[in-house]
Amino acid sequence: MKLALTVNGQSRDIDVPPNTSLLSVLRDDLGLTGTRYGCGRGQCGACYVLADGRAVASCLLTADQAARMEITTVEGLADGAELHPVQQAFVDADALQCGYCTSGMIISAAALLARDPEPDETSIRDALAGNLCRCGVYGRAIRAIQRVAGSS
Amino acid sequence: MWDRRDPERLEQRIRVERDGTVTALSGKIDFGQGLRTAFAQIVADELDVPIERVRVVLGDTDQVPFDFGTFGSHSVAQEAPLLRKAAAFARRQLVDRASAKLGLAKEELDTEAGAVVGGGKRVPYGELLDSEPLAGIIPERVSLMPETRRKYSGRPTPHVEARDIVTGRATFVADIRLPGLARGAMVRPPARGAKLRSVDDSTARKMPGVVAVVRQGDVVGVVAERDEQARAAAAAVEADWHALPVEGPTAEVPMRSDPEVDERLRGAAMRLAQTYVLPPIANAPIGPSAAVADVRADGATMYVGTHRPFGVREQVAKTVGLPEKKVRVLPQITSGTYGRNSHADAAIEAAILSKGSGRPVLLQWTREEEFAWSPSRPEAVLEISAGLDADGHIVSWRYDEHTNVHTAAGLDPGVLGVTSGRNAVPPYAGFPSKVTLHIEPTRLRTANFRSLAAAENVFAIESFMDELAALSEQDPVAFRLRHIADDRFRRVVERVAERSGWQERTANRRGRGIACTVYHDTYVAQVAEVEVSLSGAVRLIKVWCVVDPGQTVNPEGVRNQIEGGIQQSASWTLKEELLHRDGRVMNTGWDTYPIATFRDAPESIEVFVEGDESAPPTGVGEPGAVPTAAAIANAVYAASGARLRSVPLTRERVRKAMPA
Repeated sequence: MKLALTVNGQSRDIDVPPNTSLLSVLRDDLGLTGTRYGCGRGQCGACYVLADGRAVASCLLTADQAARMEITTVEGLADGAELHPVQQAFVDADALQCGYCTSGMIISAAALLARDPEPDETSIRDALAGNLCRCGVYGRAIRAIQRVAGSS
Repeated sequence: MWDRRDPERLEQRIRVERDGTVTALSGKIDFGQGLRTAFAQIVADELDVPIERVRVVLGDTDQVPFDFGTFGSHSVAQEAPLLRKAAAFARRQLVDRASAKLGLAKEELDTEAGAVVGGGKRVPYGELLDSEPLAGIIPERVSLMPETRRKYSGRPTPHVEARDIVTGRATFVADIRLPGLARGAMVRPPARGAKLRSVDDSTARKMPGVVAVVRQGDVVGVVAERDEQARAAAAAVEADWHALPVEGPTAEVPMRSDPEVDERLRGAAMRLAQTYVLPPIANAPIGPSAAVADVRADGATMYVGTHRPFGVREQVAKTVGLPEKKVRVLPQITSGTYGRNSHADAAIEAAILSKGSGRPVLLQWTREEEFAWSPSRPEAVLEISAGLDADGHIVSWRYDEHTNVHTAAGLDPGVLGVTSGRNAVPPYAGFPSKVTLHIEPTRLRTANFRSLAAAENVFAIESFMDELAALSEQDPVAFRLRHIADDRFRRVVERVAERSGWQERTANRRGRGIACTVYHDTYVAQVAEVEVSLSGAVRLIKVWCVVDPGQTVNPEGVRNQIEGGIQQSASWTLKEELLHRDGRVMNTGWDTYPIATFRDAPESIEVFVEGDESAPPTGVGEPGAVPTAAAIANAVYAASGARLRSVPLTRERVRKAMPA
């Protein structure tokens, strides 16, 4: 089916089979591979994108549903060469190891800070509770997000 | 088998390019443990170039020297001195060339930010390569950059690939996109080891997007234009399987056998015998296994995640019938896999699908496949007996480790001893011990996982040390110190006690536990603080860790690795158990195999890197994870009186173990 999606501020035309997931469209049709497959069931957070400003699992949205929303992926967060404050904070705090879960964490954190610029630690933990990390950078990620919150 | 074969040559290690950049080559692989960063730091320092100009190529089998694989946290220890020497040798050659070119004595020349300088002149490295590239056998002795001139080594440096990762630009295996790339999906048997009797693919072949249904031996899969199409068609393939139970091997390995162990046990003033049990657990990478294969008649290119690119090359060559030299393996950055990538399952399957379909194929396992078909950490049952004299000194130690095989490296007793028997011999001194490793069969597919058997053995040994201290009414730190002969080991234990304020009292159902170990010459001691609710729920509050990994290239990288090891190990200890029946894994999703989340992360993990700078660098990828389970279990005992000898420390288990 033919659809027009708004991704990272641009309108993109696609032609995909019915019920294709947004994750598959991003990765396989639009070349936006920064959004990653982890479980296909919305249980790990690796595929989170911003949909109308909320962090959602792109593996659970169909392309058809996504066509009615403004989608922002991790590739769309930076402003040219200038990183989004959350991205910069993750680099500065070295809040990553393998980096596979990082896109999803950054999306969750960006959504959180957009609705609550000064979240307390519990709010940060709750907002990122859906983002699993196996390398164990939770503590560093919390501190990175606190740093952004503190500086705003 | 770890030995290198040929003398190391400069051109296989360091290439100075005409544009002034430097390429450093290594057969080691970075899974997030920061090798790329550490290698870049070393080379930038020795060659005197800004770190941004250093590119580190890891594991490309067409470019890097042969390497057995990335295991056991050896990588920095093995490669750091070599790359340092290679870079220093390159710098010396550049100075020699500049000397000839400028007609100045070498003594008048120096280097600065990617150029040779002297006599008022400045020649960028790129201009010294006109005649020929730098080459030659790296000499045994090369004079190195004095430490005062090192700009990066020893200083905190964030991951060199961090910017690419936070912007989503980093290319993981499953992100590779080639012209004509098709997608693969496998048809799985009912249980591992099953033989394929017949395949009916008549329905699958007619489904939308299907390119081919491929069968080779007992491997069968579908290639289609899109991922969902491949999966739908794979589900429509009717395969008839003949189940053949497979079991792991059996072996017995005496690890240590001092005289008088039994006699001294019988004559001891105090005796204790306990058994500790750990279930199998999953590697559970966030990114499931993936590979891209482009197999053609005249050669193959493989984009993979692996610990051993040359091993993959050999296996793929055999699978698709090409000479090894015609197979190029390009390791990509991959999801952390903690050992799982020692096996090239996805690569071999993708190669079969590509060969059978004539298309480049990306195969990414599903989450369910990753849990169901990956190898797992084996279970372990550890029996310990020890005797103490009237003064509370250990006089005898007997240890029987029952586990399954931890690697595919073979049943040679020496290999089993350092893999499945890793850290079974206690690090304590002053008493005779008898340590035996019993490899027992299992239907579960087991293999390498972070620290091999050390995490299991140290859980048992360090829990038991705590129990011995309690039995003889001694402080757990003091009791350990009485049995430590090695100064570096003693120091990390003393320091972690200081750093954590070990003597301070905790209250309100809180308690602290200590555990320590020596893992491949890395010394590590941890104190955990937990809170135990009346219903038995354990919350990890804080962890303090002192680590001595010898000379430290990137202290920030070390802290990150150790923190991560502790966090992951806390997840194993508090949450994880893989259930299996007849070789089949029962919990195949994050809902049935939960791991620690942001909510479970402790308030803080304080890592103090206190390396003995006079000692060679040792690994930090694994040791952080090793003592954590015992530190937590010992803290649970201090907090609640519940002594847990089995993990995970579930609420029900803890409640039942609480004293009435």
